[in-house]
Amino acid sequence: MAAAAERISGPTYADIDRGVRRIMEAPGLAYWAWVGFCFTLVAIGAALWTRQIYVGLGVTGLRQGPMWAMYITDFVFWVGIAHSGTLISAILYLFRTRWRTAVYRVAETMTLFAVMTAGLFPLIHVGRPWYAYFLLPYPNERSLQPDFRSPLVWDAFAVSTYLTISATFLFMGLIPDVANARDAAKGWRKMLYSVLALGWQGTDTQWQHWSMAYLLMAGLATPLVLSVHSVVSWDFAMGQLPGWHSTIFAPYFVAGAIFSGVAMVLTLLIPMRRLLHFEDLVTEWHIDSLAKVVLLTSLIVSYSYGVESFMVWYGKDPIEMMTFHERYFGPHGWVFWVCIFCNCVAPLVLFSPRVRRNTVLLFIITIFVNIGMWFERFMIIAVSQENAFNPSQWRLYSPSITEIMITVGSFAWFLGLFSLFARFMPIISMTELKEGIRWLREAVRDDYYPGLK
Amino acid sequence: MSGEIDVLGSFADEEMCVHGIEALRAVKIQPTRVFSPIPSEHINHALGYGRSRVRALVLTGGITGILTGFTLTIGTSMEWSLNAGGKPIVSLPPFIIIAFELMILFGGLSAALGFFLNSGLPQTDRLPGYSEHFSSDRFGVLVRCAETDRERVEGILKQAGAETVVREAA
Repeated sequence: MAAAAERISGPTYADIDRGVRRIMEAPGLAYWAWVGFCFTLVAIGAALWTRQIYVGLGVTGLRQGPMWAMYITDFVFWVGIAHSGTLISAILYLFRTRWRTAVYRVAETMTLFAVMTAGLFPLIHVGRPWYAYFLLPYPNERSLQPDFRSPLVWDAFAVSTYLTISATFLFMGLIPDVANARDAAKGWRKMLYSVLALGWQGTDTQWQHWSMAYLLMAGLATPLVLSVHSVVSWDFAMGQLPGWHSTIFAPYFVAGAIFSGVAMVLTLLIPMRRLLHFEDLVTEWHIDSLAKVVLLTSLIVSYSYGVESFMVWYGKDPIEMMTFHERYFGPHGWVFWVCIFCNCVAPLVLFSPRVRRNTVLLFIITIFVNIGMWFERFMIIAVSQENAFNPSQWRLYSPSITEIMITVGSFAWFLGLFSLFARFMPIISMTELKEGIRWLREAVRDDYYPGLK
Repeated sequence: MSGEIDVLGSFADEEMCVHGIEALRAVKIQPTRVFSPIPSEHINHALGYGRSRVRALVLTGGITGILTGFTLTIGTSMEWSLNAGGKPIVSLPPFIIIAFELMILFGGLSAALGFFLNSGLPQTDRLPGYSEHFSSDRFGVLVRCAETDRERVEGILKQAGAETVVREAA
């Protein structure tokens, strides 16, 4: 009898379905206006890219001195944003972290679109994107091959692997949920979901192989996520430029990636749960847990800033010392202090549980973190090159309107794609919430889900 | 085969569904198929399933990825012997990175491929006994049995707590 009583108290599978299907209902005019706004900015960015292709990379003003500037900053920023998605979807899956179930699909979707956005920037940056295939080995009559000792080639392999595995992992997780949506949908949605569900019917053999494949993919994605941003950091650390040649870069970049990514998850989740009315499924407790990850990674990033500076001071290399002096007090010194405030100081208020549960304050802090992490990438990439070894290359970098609008367009591209996905696909995993239904009921009783009481 | 029918029991709860499967297997009746809205180790265990064959495929994919990584990097470096700063033409430490990435890529894609091959996806046919409830909030146990065993199977499923037990066209 006790078991029967437990079965009927608390949310049921049907409640979970209702909650998630509600998010997928036909959107209103405001939603389409937002999507239209995003894609208008994308169109402006695309037009400027087209002009850059037609006229040449000269329209950006990029030349000797800081040649890697805003585009590469955007690339590293977006790859970093992607990382928290895999942390939440794969690493926390292996640890069976319970708060993960309601938020991981948001994070995983963000990963896919962030990597897609990041992948655009090397293409934009090379100026002649039709030669991008030079990065990959292919048989040719001149026997020309990429140099596998170069970190840029590692990066091409790492990022394309990451994109492929993230997309496959997301799709695998979506199949049972899309099948669920298919069975409740009508019209064109039913057709769309039927195609995506691939005929899934939740049989014992389907689940048996799905579970194993999903677990192994999570196991493979875990080292992948750590490797990808390490490889991105080696794009710099393997070079000998002062300000880049640092052994701490791999863990420093990985921590920064998770820091910025989790902050971006919160930036998306806080308004989304309010606008799409799923505060009952993603509660203050989830927000609080994510905020704790932001706080922890902020401390790691702050430590990395300290160690990086300490190593320069302890090494006493005059050129490194000069580079860092310029970084802190030079014409672009304000960038460093923006990073310190946004990435090290502002997140400290997250020690307070009241701030972590105040969504308005938390949203503002996550915006600070996003800004701070973008500027951190800018500081490392562009500002370091302003003081390279060769004085003839010393030049203050200032971005062109083309670079600025393509960057703005990349944010719009990311937000537009994410908004479309969030409204038409199950943005919360019904399968995983149901799988942990016993625990979910306990969590509801313990007030972790006040909206489901 | 003539004289065979499908009996489908629908359960509201994973625990009762597992109980139904165990009760059937206790009298040597193996369920033909179980439908579930969630992955369940309990159901797999009750059905007597071992580990999925996907594991072997992922291992094979991972090893193939490593071998491909080294073959590609060493082979192309030998083909285009570029002396860069006196570094060895075949530099294994950086090649390990490519081998590692390809291990993940091939292993991950093998996991997806293994899942599709072993679970018969994609498929266009609706399986006998499937209902929309089984992707949402109900568990189904389908038993193909002789017409003469129908009452016994129905009795076991009902006793295990099935909400409904219906006969399906075999």
